[in-house]
Amino acid sequence: MPSEPRIPTEPTLEELSAYLDHELDAGAQARVAEHVAGCAECTRRLNGLRETVSAVRALPMETPNRTFTIPSERRQSFRWAPVGWLGGAAAALLIIVVGVNQLHGPGSALGTALTSRGANAPAAGLSRPEVAPLNGSNQYAAADAQKFSSNSTTVVDPRNSSRSLTVGTDARSYSATGVIALHVTTNGLSAAEASSVRLFVTRDSGYSVRLAPPSKESTFPFNYDAAYSVPQMQLQAPVEGNYTLRVEIDLSDHSTLVARLPLTITP
Amino acid sequence: MFPSKSSNDDRDLVGRARRGDREAFTQLIVQYQVPLYNMALRMVGKPDDAADITQEAFLRAWEKIRTLREAPFKSWLFQIAANLCYDHFRRGRRFGVMPDEDQTSLQASNVVGLGIATPDPQERTEANARTRLVRDSIQALDHDMRIAIVLRDVNGMAYEEIAAVLRVPLGTVKSRIARARAQVQERLQQHPDFFPTREDAHAE
Repeated sequence: MPSEPRIPTEPTLEELSAYLDHELDAGAQARVAEHVAGCAECTRRLNGLRETVSAVRALPMETPNRTFTIPSERRQSFRWAPVGWLGGAAAALLIIVVGVNQLHGPGSALGTALTSRGANAPAAGLSRPEVAPLNGSNQYAAADAQKFSSNSTTVVDPRNSSRSLTVGTDARSYSATGVIALHVTTNGLSAAEASSVRLFVTRDSGYSVRLAPPSKESTFPFNYDAAYSVPQMQLQAPVEGNYTLRVEIDLSDHSTLVARLPLTITP
Repeated sequence: MFPSKSSNDDRDLVGRARRGDREAFTQLIVQYQVPLYNMALRMVGKPDDAADITQEAFLRAWEKIRTLREAPFKSWLFQIAANLCYDHFRRGRRFGVMPDEDQTSLQASNVVGLGIATPDPQERTEANARTRLVRDSIQALDHDMRIAIVLRDVNGMAYEEIAAVLRVPLGTVKSRIARARAQVQERLQQHPDFFPTREDAHAE
């Protein structure tokens, strides 16, 4: 660091500032101290700077009010990209659409739609019925267990990294007549926390369909497999488009773990 | 480079993350999310924008971590976030926002305490006003000075580390920090009720 010997001369603003940070070399540090000790004006300047530094350092460290996540696989990451990335995002979408996975659920299985009672449901979803999982869908899902790694996300409690929520689906893209099989697990959460789980399929234009939560007899540690029929969701036409599967769990400290997975529905 | 405890602790996690270990990268997220978010927050002002930048920085870091060679993870990560802050200023854009980022499902929100707990309401109001004043004084700085003072006095980085994040010479770091502090001081001193000018102060 260039700090030429300017012994008794007045230290510059830079020198005073770096002096406070102990970022001058030892010689310069001593020279500034020596000068300041005998100079009322520089003492005043240094104290003013020092108070400013304390004021800035006293700013509270704030806690973000959401969790940060990474997609399950690097190159397939899907998100609302900055404008400069649209080309790449469009290409990714194309691959997703081309690679349509035609899925059909068990033909006879029709679940009962329950009424939403969720005070926590997004406003747009309040008047819509919940979509029940298909009967026997846990077996359906279990048979495809290995597929869940293809589209999954994990969110971690920012205050305790051993607590997490993982959501996976068996594909990223579904046909409008398909079945979405999903797998939800939690780590380190209490039964009460895990049972607050809420599931939504949200259109990128804003409206949500709520999926009926797992039945009471779900096993703990929380481990939920279910399949939902896309037609039963009665999505608004045109059905094809980009959606997000959103899974929320209320934690005992009144914060919420939110996991999101992109889904595409094709005609 | 600059030896620091955290860079040594990171090495193992970074090595695993480079091999595609999501769990290792998640631990890095847990470790850096608060300092990174606060850097972004003091740069761009709005919590939502700061969270978007933080999320985008982690995504890009995850995607690019295999290209990370010698540089310490921390300064590399902050460099990504700093670039995103500059992009934000240039284009006034938000990053990584899911369109359903509705507040309805998070209205009870999960802001966990903001530091100074002052029981007396009068004191708390004053503490808030003081905080606001400092925050606004930082916001008034130009971007180059702002990021220098934020990395130094919010994130507590050494000059050499800041130079690595900003890819500028050490002397530039030194002068930006000094000028930023002088400008913040000037603004604070316009409010002698909170920041009295101490004519009677003594040097140590």
